[in-house]
Amino acid sequence: MRAGRAAVGKIGRRRPVLLYAFLAASMLYLLVFIGLPIVYNLVMSVQEVELGNISDLVRPFVGLENYREAWEDPSFRTVLLNSALFVGANVVAQVGIGLALALFFAQRFPGAHVLRGLLLASWVLPALVVGALWKWIFATDYGVANYVLTRLHLISGAIHWLSDPTVSLTAVTIANIWFGTPFAMILVAAGLTSIPEEQYEAASLDGAGPLARLLHITLPSLWPTLVAVACLVTIYTMRAFDLIFAMTQGGPLDSSNVLPLLSYQLSFQRFHFGVGAAVGSFSFIIVLAVAVLYVRTLRRESEG
Amino acid sequence: MMRSLRRRIGSRGMRILCSAIGITIVVCYLFPVYWMFASSVKTSAEIFANPPSIIPSHPTLAAFRQVFESENVVRYMRNSLAIAIPVTVVTLLLGASGSYALSRLRTRLIGVALVLALILQIFPDALLATPMFIMFRHVGLLNTFTGVVLATSAKSLAFALVILRPMYRQVPAEIEEASRVDGCGTWQTFWRIVLPIMRVPLIVVGVLSFVQAYGQFVYPLTLLSKQELQPATVGIYSFIGAEYADWDRVMAFASIFAIPVLILFLLLQRKIVAGLTAGALK
Amino acid sequence: MGGSTVLRRTFLASSAAAAGFSANVARAEPATVSLWHVFNLDTDMIYGGMKAFNESQSAYRIEPRLVPGVQIVTELIRAIATGSVPDLVTLDSPVVASFSAQGTLTDLTDQVVQSKFIKPDVYFKGPWASGQWRGKTYGIPRDANTLGLYYNADMFRAKGMDPDKPPRTWSELKAAAQKLRDPAKNVYGFGFCATQAEEGVFQWLPFLWQAGGSVDKLDQPEAAAALQYVTDMVQQGLASKDVINQSQYEVTNTFMAGNIAMSQGGPWELPRMSKQAKFEWRLAPLPVKDDKQIKADCLGGYDFVVPKGAGQVEGAFRFIEFMSNPKILNEGWKSGRIGPRTDVMVQDPLWPQAYATYRGEMSYARPRGPHPQWPDISRPMQTAIQQALTGAKSPADALREAAAKVDPILAKTPL
Repeated sequence: MRAGRAAVGKIGRRRPVLLYAFLAASMLYLLVFIGLPIVYNLVMSVQEVELGNISDLVRPFVGLENYREAWEDPSFRTVLLNSALFVGANVVAQVGIGLALALFFAQRFPGAHVLRGLLLASWVLPALVVGALWKWIFATDYGVANYVLTRLHLISGAIHWLSDPTVSLTAVTIANIWFGTPFAMILVAAGLTSIPEEQYEAASLDGAGPLARLLHITLPSLWPTLVAVACLVTIYTMRAFDLIFAMTQGGPLDSSNVLPLLSYQLSFQRFHFGVGAAVGSFSFIIVLAVAVLYVRTLRRESEG
Repeated sequence: MMRSLRRRIGSRGMRILCSAIGITIVVCYLFPVYWMFASSVKTSAEIFANPPSIIPSHPTLAAFRQVFESENVVRYMRNSLAIAIPVTVVTLLLGASGSYALSRLRTRLIGVALVLALILQIFPDALLATPMFIMFRHVGLLNTFTGVVLATSAKSLAFALVILRPMYRQVPAEIEEASRVDGCGTWQTFWRIVLPIMRVPLIVVGVLSFVQAYGQFVYPLTLLSKQELQPATVGIYSFIGAEYADWDRVMAFASIFAIPVLILFLLLQRKIVAGLTAGALK
Repeated sequence: MGGSTVLRRTFLASSAAAAGFSANVARAEPATVSLWHVFNLDTDMIYGGMKAFNESQSAYRIEPRLVPGVQIVTELIRAIATGSVPDLVTLDSPVVASFSAQGTLTDLTDQVVQSKFIKPDVYFKGPWASGQWRGKTYGIPRDANTLGLYYNADMFRAKGMDPDKPPRTWSELKAAAQKLRDPAKNVYGFGFCATQAEEGVFQWLPFLWQAGGSVDKLDQPEAAAALQYVTDMVQQGLASKDVINQSQYEVTNTFMAGNIAMSQGGPWELPRMSKQAKFEWRLAPLPVKDDKQIKADCLGGYDFVVPKGAGQVEGAFRFIEFMSNPKILNEGWKSGRIGPRTDVMVQDPLWPQAYATYRGEMSYARPRGPHPQWPDISRPMQTAIQQALTGAKSPADALREAAAKVDPILAKTPL
């Protein structure tokens, strides 16, 4: 009944050159095409960079001054908190709803596969278009959301989705969850297909019902995939800002502003490139922590 | 017993109920997409009217007509595909092999490599575009599809590595052991045995990479200054001017943009199901 | 972006001089002048201008690149950062000073002195000032715009008001908004833009100046009065709370859909307004504050700039000159662009009433800055506006906070 995971170890004892070659190819590619640009940004975050010297490679070194300036900006704490809430809600919702949808559409009923494919429509659209659509839906006066909710008597007055600082973060979170969940769903669905049929058959023969099968076979086998998806969703959400830019530009009063958008505003709207890069690096550090955590869980899995 | 016990839902009634629930979920979920189509046949003024018109009052194809007339829509779509298809290929090539290695090797390097693959994705394109531009200018890859493909593939590669690894680990070791016993080398095992089992996740990753590349905006905008090379994501901005946007045309363009990909999904969904019923894992 | 050698340039210059501006057989390859612009409306004067320019001489050929409006500054920054700049860019006037003060633009003073068409005295003060820095010219205005009050004449009549007598003072505006507001029909009395962006400040500055306030005196009662006025509009339900999230054209869209009776907007809205508004719309000049009677409006528009290190400075300037010809600028009005020169007066303009209004306002339209740190000055004002409108702070407190941020910047570099 146990998955053949423990047996994988046996293969690993050999160290085929080919596998190292595979690994090297991918890693080198990433280091060149993403690593170098990131180094550029990290270096910029410890320099004083304005329009005048942005084309130089050597600029005045200011140590952690940019970071201090970023930290002391009153909107920074708000933005940091917003990012944490935004990402947290997104991960929980996207993975949770994605899992539920994947399980549901894995059942065999007429039209299951077509319907599941249609859900991906939300992910295909450019962020600019999705942002505009949700901006219209959430508009206080002419938006469909308020229209439907008041008609159904679920709310008494119009909600100022995007113009009330206490609600705007919720609004952009809903929009982003809508945007990203199909992605999580499809990845979980792919993970579902990797679970060998025999396990289910054996369990059924042993008399396990659907719920038991779900809890004891599906979820444990799916766990590594779920964790990987959660990790990816965290990263994607941490860097997403096109959607928020299109919906609220981070306003009102930075209530829906997140780290990457603040970084963009500092660099390209106010021309303080060093500080913008420093803010971007904050995200980097947070994700580094998440990544290390993820890898730790993998170590446990291989030992278990 | 050839029945798939996991999937069998009792009665016919249950199956129909599930279909009904499924349709309801999809209809509700896709409401904003409907809104996009509806907006493309409304006038600009009607889009912003209060109360909102859920059914367009005087649907018109004027926006579509204007989009086709004013912009070289075919060229934009062609450019989008010229970027998206190679990106998918590169991602699958490097991703399928790299994540296999990540799942089978047992060195500390794996941890490092995974952390790298994850953190390298954190920076938004807008911040990476500038150094990317400098790099490509030095090697003469500006205003080429190759440059954009290389830049975009890095994004999907990182995610492919992370997501395929746990799925590779699902593949039972006995299968690989068996092929080893038969005398197959690493490559043979990988190519003949493991990959076919991973067909479904690979298709999924391929499709997702395709969609991500198809929707790329920042890199094509920065790395391709020649109008003839620009893909649809940049083209959509020709309806968004300095001070205002022709939203009906933007939505019409977006509708045209989305349809090929949706068709792609629907076609590939069948393949996935076919793979399942054929008992790919046996 | 050309990179021609000195020899080639001399050859081209001399052959162009010989050929003059008349059409001639081009034995030499025309040098390419790369132009980045944001005008996607195909009736914009730049398209006709480029065509005519290319045809009128053989020394230079314009190669345009249409950049999305929100991306032009970002793309220019990237170009500067990577050292491969275009020859000519159209830039929003308030940010030109940021670029010129940092030495990233080519000094065009000498070219202007020798120019036939570009004489500083001919230009309106505001637009011309936006391209100046420390006595040198870095940007030439391409077009100008300012704000006016659009109003729905049909709604006026329906409420028993005379459409020939639009509100002329703040109190009249408020009274009109109160009369025209109709919650049952989802109609607001007044609309303006108050987003957390440059647009929001653009729309509020006229109120500030009409109240007798100024950017360097934000903590004074005049400024507070200006902010209180718009805050009251929102809090009394005369304008929608959503104005803090709506860009200018979205407000205009709501006006065109018939859900706002009066809205503050610029001439760029006219091409759409004329097609999509299904009612009689008119334009009035912005009202004045009752006790101050100061006519003030905010200036917007685009300047031509030549980034430093551009390969074709000469060619770029030739094109600027070409586009500054009053004959070409006359065409600008077809897409709602006002010529920034006093000698440009369109005969038989489209939307004549609107033209007369906007053109009249140009004499008292004030520029933003020019100040190299305008974005850092604008941002505290945006915050103050939003704090007041959401009720987070009183207008006076919000502006005091803004003044605390703005004053140090102005102390270092005065406006």
